[in-house]
Amino acid sequence: MMLQDGSTQLLCLTATSGVPLFTRGASRQLPFSIIGSLNGVHMFGGGQEVVLSSCETEGGGKVVWRVFHDSVMLIAVSGSGHGGAGSGKEKEAHLQRLLENVWNCMVLVLGEEELVNIRNVERLKRDLRSCFNLIDQLLEEKQEGILGNLTHCADSLLPPNPSLVQAAVDGFTQAADSEFGCLLVHGRMVSATEKWWRLAPQEIVLLAALMRTLSASGSSSCDYPVFLPHGSPTVAHRLLRFQLLPGADVCVLCGPTPSLQRAQSGLVVRFWAPLAETLRECLTVGGRCLPASVSLHPDVLAFLLINRETRRSISCVLCSHTTTKPSAAPVLSNGRCWELLKLFYNFSITRYFSQEETLCASQDESAQRNTTEEFVRGFTHQPLQCYLVTEECKSYGLQTAQHQLFLLVPPSVPTFALRTVATQTLTDIVTATGF
Amino acid sequence: MAAFPSLAAPGSVVVSDWHRCKESKEFFSKILQKMRRKNFGLLESPVMPPHAAVDTVDYKVFLTGKSGVGKTSLAARLAGLSVPKVHYETTGIEVSVIYWPVKLRDSGRVLFFRLQLWDCGDNASRRFDHLLPSCKEQVDAVLFLFSFTDRTSFDDLSNQITKWTEPSVCHIVKVVVGTKYDLFMHCDVTERDVQDFQETWRLPLLRVGGEVSEGLGDVAPVLNCLAEQLWHQDCIAAGSTCRQTREKTVTLI
Ligand SMILES: Nc1nc2c(ncn2[C@@H]2O[C@H](COP(=O)(O)OP(=O)(O)OP(=O)(O)O)[C@@H](O)[C@H]2O)c(=O)[nH]1
Ligand SMILES: [Mg+2]
Repeated sequence: MMLQDGSTQLLCLTATSGVPLFTRGASRQLPFSIIGSLNGVHMFGGGQEVVLSSCETEGGGKVVWRVFHDSVMLIAVSGSGHGGAGSGKEKEAHLQRLLENVWNCMVLVLGEEELVNIRNVERLKRDLRSCFNLIDQLLEEKQEGILGNLTHCADSLLPPNPSLVQAAVDGFTQAADSEFGCLLVHGRMVSATEKWWRLAPQEIVLLAALMRTLSASGSSSCDYPVFLPHGSPTVAHRLLRFQLLPGADVCVLCGPTPSLQRAQSGLVVRFWAPLAETLRECLTVGGRCLPASVSLHPDVLAFLLINRETRRSISCVLCSHTTTKPSAAPVLSNGRCWELLKLFYNFSITRYFSQEETLCASQDESAQRNTTEEFVRGFTHQPLQCYLVTEECKSYGLQTAQHQLFLLVPPSVPTFALRTVATQTLTDIVTATGF
Repeated sequence: MAAFPSLAAPGSVVVSDWHRCKESKEFFSKILQKMRRKNFGLLESPVMPPHAAVDTVDYKVFLTGKSGVGKTSLAARLAGLSVPKVHYETTGIEVSVIYWPVKLRDSGRVLFFRLQLWDCGDNASRRFDHLLPSCKEQVDAVLFLFSFTDRTSFDDLSNQITKWTEPSVCHIVKVVVGTKYDLFMHCDVTERDVQDFQETWRLPLLRVGGEVSEGLGDVAPVLNCLAEQLWHQDCIAAGSTCRQTREKTVTLI
């Protein structure tokens, strides 16, 4: 029921005149007449003082609109996929989030000024091409194990030696005339300065996505101008990134100094060479996100654990699991496990749990979120746990004041045992790592 | 052109095709991993056994050319990575570090060249003023890129090169690279054009294109040419200022 795929197409137009700025996603582009109608119907609503924010087609497709700063309209059109009962709400939430992320990408690269006060449409069209790399990645969502675009929590990796790494990040950042620095291993946040954690959650996730792209390009270092969609939408900062070891990147957000060259030749080796072994240890943690010393309940197929206060998350899929029981249900691939984990997260968040209010949720978004809140308010209590049984796996969600845990186990585990597995997993991880 | 330093004739300073010689294996094996090029983090470098240790010389190389000409692709190709299929604009500066062992012809001495390739997105460099100065700061060589499929990129070369002829920058090594040589069906620049250009400017001109192949044969001509000109230029500089030697050896761990 909650399972869906189907490709998503993204349209971007000027809000006032409906001039198409770009389209991305889906190999088969929508005809111009349909794009025109999608814009027209939204404008028509506007004329009647109605904000059209989403609609569903008979076949289970979905269209979501959103206008940013009365200047740029983004429309997401998603294919029918599996459709079926109840899939609409999750899909809508997902597309709303996508549009917000896409807008943030555009601001990150171009700055708000150019997007909000459009002077020359042709020029804007040309400039927008520089955002395609990040936008395409948002649409493809092909990076397994990265859930930040969905959760707006920083995908993290817990190192065996947190204090050593923290000290190095702090020292290096300070030496680079900055207060904002972080270390990424396998594209996940290992450590960051206090100020970095005070950036808006969307910014943290977006910067991490940018750093992953840069890291994947194989280059050794970068100097990228970035606007911060919430903290500094009109003044660009410099994102300096250094590949310390393949898979381990340190980043700082700077002003005019130091130059990339000076930072690279003067600071990188000085601060990080003594930590090479520690970094290698972080790299060996790998996709598990947890040091090997933390043991997990043998029935856990996959989990996502969110710290609601720090807005960090760890997640992993333990693939080896299914192969041990030949009689059990068909083996789930790693990719499918990640997909199920995302779907279950979306399912729980849109129905039972609440997603942390992000700092700057727009009116549209909070309006959309109200549907969940209304539902939740219908209860005299706050749901703390929820579960879902499907043919492929059993899923369990659990929320405390501090954490949210989403867990997948094989269908062979009796349903009454889910809660025990979940609470034990939460305790195991939190006790061992203090996450 | 008088504004340029003398050129080293190809193969006069470094042994060309050295990667094909048996004796070079122990050096080239340090930049390979499972038959592919090894990716070095900034904390890493090729490490030779103590008895065979060689010096590493570090150079900064700036890649310039209009958007879409293939700067990012060339950097990836030279680093042994796969070339991006679609054109995504580079929205800042990306530096790739490449290690390349070279044997000097005269002395028989072996050196590891550490080439930092500075790739700056063309459109980004127009949007943000601070990017180009950063690329040009203490640069040792410039690679001027044009695409065989884009006439304007070729026609613009002279303008670009002229900017690097002033006395303060004329000593900087200059090499021209023509990209997309594989797309001969769409070729927009003739051999005759290239010849005329070379007669005017007398700069080394290399052609690249096609899928990145397994071996080193693809990248060797470009990297050897760069290394040769850089070393040659260093020798001239050392001669004129007497005792100036290159102290750019890198910290190893
Ligand atoms: N066939 C072929 N295609 C190439 C070659 N070099 C680059 N390309 C293609 O040309 C396009 C643009 O290449 P990039 O390297 O991204 O261009 P760039 O110079 O870095 O452009 P900016 O970052 O915008 O300044 C990409 O789609 C590449 O696949 C080549 O030698 N042969
Ligand atoms: Mg580029």
